[in-house]
Amino acid sequence: MMDNFEKKIRDNKEFFDDKKADRKKMWDAISMELETEPTKVIPFWKFPIFKVAASILLIVGLFTITGPLVLNNAGIETSYANKEILDIESHYEGLVAYQVKLVQNHPVLTKDDKVEFLSFMQELDDEYYLLKLEMRKNLDNELILEALIGNYKKRIELIENLLKQINSSKKINDDYGYTL
Amino acid sequence: MEGNIQNIHNDLVKKSKTGDRSSQYQLYELYVDAMYNISFRMVGIKEDAEDVVQDSFIEAFKKLDTFKYQSTFGSWLKRIVINKSINHLKVKRISLTPIENHEYHLQEEVIVPKEDIDLFKAKKGIETLPNGYKQIISLYLIEGYDHNEIGEILEISTSTSKSQYHRAKKKLIEIIKQL
Repeated sequence: MMDNFEKKIRDNKEFFDDKKADRKKMWDAISMELETEPTKVIPFWKFPIFKVAASILLIVGLFTITGPLVLNNAGIETSYANKEILDIESHYEGLVAYQVKLVQNHPVLTKDDKVEFLSFMQELDDEYYLLKLEMRKNLDNELILEALIGNYKKRIELIENLLKQINSSKKINDDYGYTL
Repeated sequence: MEGNIQNIHNDLVKKSKTGDRSSQYQLYELYVDAMYNISFRMVGIKEDAEDVVQDSFIEAFKKLDTFKYQSTFGSWLKRIVINKSINHLKVKRISLTPIENHEYHLQEEVIVPKEDIDLFKAKKGIETLPNGYKQIISLYLIEGYDHNEIGEILEISTSTSKSQYHRAKKKLIEIIKQL
């Protein structure tokens, strides 16, 4: 609780502000100090260009660290897919090549029949090549893998059918021989 | 009206933050006399008060970005002036708590004169007070701080501030009676 003495002084604060500052002299000193204030050095990391560069560097850095892992994983996947194709090829290629050779060397078939048949086989071979290209783009595409196998099976089936037909006709001729 | 003045001051502060020298000068013109009087009451020497006020304005303008409008610019600046005045006295090794063991001092009743106080005598009496008394009387009676705030400014406890003020007031009344 303030008494009258305290209240009187507090209520008349302005009365005690009777001094006048030497405004010009003081301002000159203040403005001189503010003028000589060292130029604000903006840290280089505050420049937007640095932020962009830092972001790129960060991405590159992250890719450098994680990239090999990702690529290795992709490589593993690729190698799995490639191995699958290789297995298919090694299995069917030899089979087809053997049967094609049987057709080529078959004594009953005419030269024209052989050319016609082998050109048909070449068409299937071209189709297989295209499927392989597609397979490289879509390594995990099971449909293409099935198509590749289907291609080989078709070739084998055709050769088998052809050889069956040749053999059956030969058998008929033989039978005729016996009959006769 | 007061709100308008406050808005004008805030506008000047806003521009001063960008380094606008004209706005800084206008703020200086508005506050320099008040700040000079505050510092003069604290340090008691014209040249010292001028140095303190100059340094205070320089610091205020340089650190204006830390002013968040939580108080008026005037009270923010006033606190800088008072802190710098106290530091100035400390550098000059002027004690702000001249009486030893003041916390254990038994408070004597201060007899306040019943007749109306003469402001001229009060002003003269405050100027005559010894260091320590003068600062606490100024902080409490003229600058309007409470004992918690004075405790923070002088780095003393609230109870020390109260007992110190009590004695300073008694001394001031004695001086006034003799004038």
